[in-house]
Amino acid sequence: MDTVDLARLQFALTAGAHFMFVALTLGLATLVAVVQTRATLSRSPLHLRMTRFWGQLYIINYAMGIVTGLVMEFQLGLSWSGLTEFAGNVFGSSLAIETLVAFFVESTFLGLWIFGWDKLNRWAHLALIWGVTATAYASAFWILIANGFLQNPLGHRTENGVLRIADFGAMVANPAALIAFFHVAGGALVTGGFFMAGVSAWHLRRRTAEQDFFRKSLRVGIVVALPATLFTATFGGIGFQTLQPAKSAAFAGNAERLAQAQAEMVARHGPGDYLPPVGLVQAAGITMMTVFAVLLFLAALSFLLMLFRPVVRGFRPWHWLLTALIPLPFVAMLAGWVFREMGRQPWAVYGLLKTSDAMSPVSHAQISLSLTGFAAVFAVLIVTNYWLLARAARRGPEAVTLGERPVRPPVLAY
Amino acid sequence: MEILILAFFALGYLVLAGADIGVGMMLPYLGRSADERRVTIAAIAPFFLGNEVWLVATAGVLAGLFPELEGELLSGNYSLVVALLLAWVVRDMGLWLRGRVPGGRWQAFWDGATVLGSWGLALSWGSLLSDVLLGITGPVALVPALLVAALFATHGLAFAALRLRGRLRERAAVLSGGAGESRTYALTTAALAAIGVLAGLRLPLEPGTSGPLLVPVILVLIPFLVAAQGWVWWTFRHRVTGPSYL
Repeated sequence: MDTVDLARLQFALTAGAHFMFVALTLGLATLVAVVQTRATLSRSPLHLRMTRFWGQLYIINYAMGIVTGLVMEFQLGLSWSGLTEFAGNVFGSSLAIETLVAFFVESTFLGLWIFGWDKLNRWAHLALIWGVTATAYASAFWILIANGFLQNPLGHRTENGVLRIADFGAMVANPAALIAFFHVAGGALVTGGFFMAGVSAWHLRRRTAEQDFFRKSLRVGIVVALPATLFTATFGGIGFQTLQPAKSAAFAGNAERLAQAQAEMVARHGPGDYLPPVGLVQAAGITMMTVFAVLLFLAALSFLLMLFRPVVRGFRPWHWLLTALIPLPFVAMLAGWVFREMGRQPWAVYGLLKTSDAMSPVSHAQISLSLTGFAAVFAVLIVTNYWLLARAARRGPEAVTLGERPVRPPVLAY
Repeated sequence: MEILILAFFALGYLVLAGADIGVGMMLPYLGRSADERRVTIAAIAPFFLGNEVWLVATAGVLAGLFPELEGELLSGNYSLVVALLLAWVVRDMGLWLRGRVPGGRWQAFWDGATVLGSWGLALSWGSLLSDVLLGITGPVALVPALLVAALFATHGLAFAALRLRGRLRERAAVLSGGAGESRTYALTTAALAAIGVLAGLRLPLEPGTSGPLLVPVILVLIPFLVAAQGWVWWTFRHRVTGPSYL
């Protein structure tokens, strides 16, 4: 592989790992906030326990989201200084706003939410989880504004060979960004909803002690998952109108339109290969659509089954199926992301800067070494964290440590 | 104004997160048993998320206001920045994972990750700063890097002495002597800030073109960000009385 391919692989692995965790983070944060609102309003002990159990799973997942996010924040400057030099004055502003409005506040409030569990007024504590949730969506919003600019550059002008902002409003109102934001936000809720339903179904099937707890949780999961699936699909459908010609031709597998897209690019930018890897883009698009169809059908079916309490308690094949569905939204999210990002190749900034011209002047050896380092560390951490997530999910609400008052060790009580 | 904003976040990171790094480095010295280590970590636990994010903000400010410098600085020090990121990830995972499974070996392993990651962070920062400040690279850079690491460690000890009680506080105050932990902390804070400022003066701080748009936005945001952090400091202003969630 040449240096650019290695750098792309490193970016893809980091972004892919990050995306898997933040998808669940975004969805679960919303669900935890809703459950905690219920707990705070009603003072119901059951809902308080639900907040702590789902909150614990949320935090296990969040920790991975944050460490992959830290690495993401530095990837552009590390490996793609050609991109930051050429377009950083435009899309960098969106990244700056993201770190300050979203990442900064989200981390600060989350620390306060976790460690201030019994120290804060319960309304202040509730406000914190909503603050964390709102800033998580703000984060997704500003990242997609930056990504939308790379997909469909708007609101810029060229000066001395580099881009600068001409119209910030046009950049933020970019349909390629806004539609994608709603699509991804919906996808996160699908991921969170199916996760909550699947974990609950596992406990119902095993007839663990917490029947009431998981019957209610399963309903929350499905009540969110069904409309979220429809919402995501709606914005996915609208998003097809914002696709680059070569991406949509690759999805359709239409040789004639592909040739036309290539010819148009050659006419504008000179000779070269301007087509994305057609097979991969098409496979990713089809995977996303197929998984969506399966999820929609099963979410609708589950919504009906959920209305009958004996079914919720005792229909084990359905429980088994819901648990088996947990990975599917992740598959759809990753496939959709591959479709979006591979489909715009060979461009880093569509029509303006090629990926091969966006790289930093770093050596093959440097990238090989860093790629090996990141891949090894992330592989170990991803396996460990999914094992811990599954373990904490199986052990149920009794084993939760979040929000419990720790016992003071006698050795230090002086 | 762009430079002041960058300095605000970069110095904020060095001073605030520097204490977390130092406590992580000195964890084997401060906490001799698993329980003691857990209480020692409680000294930084409520803060470390909100502290490390100052570096994320610094990166964001670089990306928005100094995009050219961002590329030069990060890709120009590629391997050091990668080492810094890996150490950061290992340190954070050590903190997050230590309490997830009961058992001495699991905790000892992740405490080891916290210590290793903290040393890695301190030494990467030391090497980066000595490269920027003195232009020294290669094995010789280890000397100034170790000095910077020692400064982080002292800063961490002073912070731990301010947060802990009893035997742990005594251990942490070993370097403070008669001066008192507040004064030691003020001193190490000044030293870290001075190194940060001097390194900044050596950088080609040429702002990009989005300042007129971004600077007012950031200036409006800063009071809210400081208030959010102030809420954390106020909530955890008392000394640690026992272990926390981690």
